[in-house]
Amino acid sequence: MLGALAGRLGAAAATAVLSTAAVFLLIRAVPGDVVGEMLGQSAGDQAAEAALRAFFGLDRPLWQQYLGWAGDVLRGDLGDSWRQGLPVAGIVGEAFLVTLQIGLVTLAVALLVGVPLGVVAGVRQGRWPDLVVEAFSLLALSAPVFWTGMVLLIAAGAWLGWSPPLIYAGPGENLSDNLESIALPVLALALLQAAAYAQFARQQTAMVMRQDFIRAAIARGLPARLVYGRHLLRNVAIPLVTFAGVILVQILGGVVVVETLFAIPGLGRTLLAAIQARDYPVLQGALLVAVLIALLVNLLVDLLYAAIDPRVRGA
Amino acid sequence: MNRRARIEYGLGLGLAGLLLLVAIAPGLFAGAPDSVDIARRLAPPSAANWFGTDETGRDVYARVVHGAGTTLGIVGAAVLLAALIGGVAGAVAGFFGRLGDMALSRGADALLAFPPIILGVVVAATLGPGAVNLVLALGIIYAPVFFRVARAAALGEGARAYVEAARALGHGEWAVLLRHVGPNVLPTVLLQCVILFPLALQIQAALGFLGLGVPPPTPDWGASLQESRNYMTAAPWLAIFPGLALLVAALAAMLLGRGLQARA
Repeated sequence: MLGALAGRLGAAAATAVLSTAAVFLLIRAVPGDVVGEMLGQSAGDQAAEAALRAFFGLDRPLWQQYLGWAGDVLRGDLGDSWRQGLPVAGIVGEAFLVTLQIGLVTLAVALLVGVPLGVVAGVRQGRWPDLVVEAFSLLALSAPVFWTGMVLLIAAGAWLGWSPPLIYAGPGENLSDNLESIALPVLALALLQAAAYAQFARQQTAMVMRQDFIRAAIARGLPARLVYGRHLLRNVAIPLVTFAGVILVQILGGVVVVETLFAIPGLGRTLLAAIQARDYPVLQGALLVAVLIALLVNLLVDLLYAAIDPRVRGA
Repeated sequence: MNRRARIEYGLGLGLAGLLLLVAIAPGLFAGAPDSVDIARRLAPPSAANWFGTDETGRDVYARVVHGAGTTLGIVGAAVLLAALIGGVAGAVAGFFGRLGDMALSRGADALLAFPPIILGVVVAATLGPGAVNLVLALGIIYAPVFFRVARAAALGEGARAYVEAARALGHGEWAVLLRHVGPNVLPTVLLQCVILFPLALQIQAALGFLGLGVPPPTPDWGASLQESRNYMTAAPWLAIFPGLALLVAALAAMLLGRGLQARA
């Protein structure tokens, strides 16, 4: 168990190093950098350009730049933003908490809506509840998530006369303003992920329903409450819990576009702004967080699986 | 396949066929997508303009119809590019194994560690706007997925008895890969194309929406949604119809993918 864990951790660390290195090289491979953006009108002044490049360390070979950055990261220093002069850890950390709140609330909503829908559809396979759930999930999975957000915005404005506040409020500042800020983005993301959850829950339920012990339980005349409550749900619960990890990573990806639509200062907007300003330290910091979260969640899912199901251990 | 699966598959086939026709021959369905008519700007849907008009009086229906070729063409080209690169690399890696497989697998893992949209944003912003760059960005996102699928398929096929038999008959390794393993990996890769199409479509639309897609005035569904943002309350039809087109295209691909999966 411990050996397998160490192996998994090592593989995740190797992936993180490779991913960050790939991105590091990629963003530097294009013509134009922060120096050109900053000098603007006075671009072409060779001395000024060279001085700024030296100041940012852009005159060094790429591998030196990467090793310098990676070394700082390992010491817990993400550097300072080239445009704002503030520590990257603060900028990215703040943005990440905004995104994380939306992600977790969305996950809770998706779980509460998607799982019951999927289980009911799986139990009533081929009947009308199944058809309704299937139609809902196909449509929700087909719609681009930011478009769902736009439609929600339009609908809320036209029918309720309501629109979210123009300026985002954090949960610490004012909770009711915060809830108004995140209501529509969460709803848009949750519709999509509830559909994904419903499909998965339906498939898992249908699989368990075909097993002999369910038939035996029904044949023994057990009340439906016991058949579904004890025999079915216990067997469906494990994959459903682990699926939460998959969904959370998907939400954290999908939120990037939705944040832009709703002007929420999360990780996605920070990333886009950093790309446009060619603010490499912020961009690298934000990407590092995104990759680490994805790797960490996947690792946790695997561990959770091993903890719940002894058959997976050591595999 | 039961009756419901057959209906779903038929619907998927029908929609996909129609979309393909619209993408290839938009002229059959609508007039010019770029005829400006300022007098009729931001007109709501009517008999003359089924989907209304935009801020310069262009017909939204015509732009949606002509956008099919751009949007679906880019996604289709990207998926095929990813399938070609990822599929070939995966089949070779899975069949031969060893160091090359190790290196390629690590590389694929490194790319797969990013949420697809984030990788897409970084690559598309780095390469700059344009249809070709969008194809490349989407190709980079999905090549590792094809790599994994093709690698697993080639690994499985390589252990089968017919491969052993071909070797025993004196065929070289590359000949066995090309003539025996490859054709058996191909259906898996093609099925994966259909499965990944709706996902790639969503990313393509998102990049267009973020302004990282095809520059105006080329009609593109995601780019149209980006342009519609300033008129969401005044002219909601600008946002509704290109999004519906994306929804229908994703739905068609999803139904088709499920049907093919059930048949395989």
